[in-house]
Amino acid sequence: MFNAEKFVEETVEELRDKISGKAVIGISGGVDSATAAILVNRAIGENLQCVLVDTGYMRKNEIENNKKTLKKLGLNVVVVDAKERFYEKLRGVVDPEQKRKIIGELFIRVFEEVARKENARFFVQGTIAPDWIESGGGLRDRIKSHHNVGGLPEKIEFEIVEPLRDLYKDEVRVVGKKLGLPQELYNRQPYPGPGLAVRIIGEASPDNVRIIREACAIVEEEVEKAVANNEMTKPWQFFAVLLPCKTVGVHGDVRAYGNTISVRAVESLDGMSAAYSKIPHPILEKISVRITNTMKDDVARVVYDVTNKPPGTIEYE
Amino acid sequence: MSRPVRVYVADNGGQWTHRIWRVLRELSCESKIIPNTTPVDQIGADALVLSGGAPRIAWESPKLGNCTDYLEYFQGPILGICVGLQLMAVYCGGKAGPSKVPEYGLAKIRVQEEDDLFKGLPKEFLVWESHNDEVKEARGFAMLAVSDNCSVQAAKHLKKPYYGVQFHPEVNNTEHGEEILKNFVDVVNESQCF
Repeated sequence: MFNAEKFVEETVEELRDKISGKAVIGISGGVDSATAAILVNRAIGENLQCVLVDTGYMRKNEIENNKKTLKKLGLNVVVVDAKERFYEKLRGVVDPEQKRKIIGELFIRVFEEVARKENARFFVQGTIAPDWIESGGGLRDRIKSHHNVGGLPEKIEFEIVEPLRDLYKDEVRVVGKKLGLPQELYNRQPYPGPGLAVRIIGEASPDNVRIIREACAIVEEEVEKAVANNEMTKPWQFFAVLLPCKTVGVHGDVRAYGNTISVRAVESLDGMSAAYSKIPHPILEKISVRITNTMKDDVARVVYDVTNKPPGTIEYE
Repeated sequence: MSRPVRVYVADNGGQWTHRIWRVLRELSCESKIIPNTTPVDQIGADALVLSGGAPRIAWESPKLGNCTDYLEYFQGPILGICVGLQLMAVYCGGKAGPSKVPEYGLAKIRVQEEDDLFKGLPKEFLVWESHNDEVKEARGFAMLAVSDNCSVQAAKHLKKPYYGVQFHPEVNNTEHGEEILKNFVDVVNESQCF
């Protein structure tokens, strides 16, 4: 069995040997990067600078909430507002791999700027096993370029440190718990680095972000409410995706023509395989009614995705 | 046993190679992932698992590196998963090629012969698949399990310690997956007693 205590002990020791001087970590507010940050913090303390990038593709209220949670953990956090830079670079881009690569590169450029200011030679990432497995290399086919592996530019100014590289999500959660992360953090559902940009099929424009951000918030709220009421168990991951097709509707005897939202929820252990969640129909209906009513100007139809992984992946791009 | 058995994973580039390693580690084996180009005399394991991977058996078998050497010279039990099983069948004089109906994700298998791999398991259960090719003919093997769209879901060589599965026992969504790998590890443990 995986021994978290031993892992923490050995990793902190290794990090202490490896990192000299200052280090910068890219932190999102998810369990992987938070766990990596606490490990490095134990090894080098004050010398770790955490950087939370506002890419413009984070979920509703996420930047402020994550900043608060991370600061409470005693971490040194700085928020970099890079929204406009991300929107600018992604204008007109629809190819999923191109999106991921642009985002991967821009992330690194932002981190390099902070590292230069801090005089840090080391850059820490919360990369876990599925990130590099799915990014491919050698014999392994590339399924998608994860922003922190396959999406990295060729020339990078600092040395990359990835303390969680061989772990899976469920193991990271055990380590996070051991390190004293709060339950809502170590049990938080996975969220991709490129964020809402890969939940918009097509151009990740500010207007499309507005739509998918609201739809994702509704899905999360309704599922969490139903879980709290014991109407269902919490899926491994649950979110909304904006599809690039419009369909016809009827709103108060008037023709409507609007976007389609796909609701996605899966059961998994480690993200490497997944079964779609059998969410009870009344809950799906609540989600559908709320999205189509409160977002009537943007969304005409809601569908539920019943694809397993394989053949589908969990996220759409 | 004075030491845990060494079961190494020859990597054919599968999405789930790392998972095989993980489950073996959880079964208290000493395990590591080795490139499939590792020379057979440098392996030093008690048993081998040939992982699945993207190479197509009919026209990309060079990408399977030294796996044929392992079947020829490796001393100890070998478990072939997915393309690993297909290579085993071809090596023993059988055939493998594109599936008429490939299987991705959920499938139900029916166990026809318990043998070692399915010891103590139900006759029917749900597994996770991910294959474009399949075994068409397996000479010298006993067929252990089938699914609706694939007639060789599991096989065991009649004379050699070769086991193969078309589905993926290393994947968490596969029912009884860990038990199947444990049954293989039990075979390895027994082979060490001689």
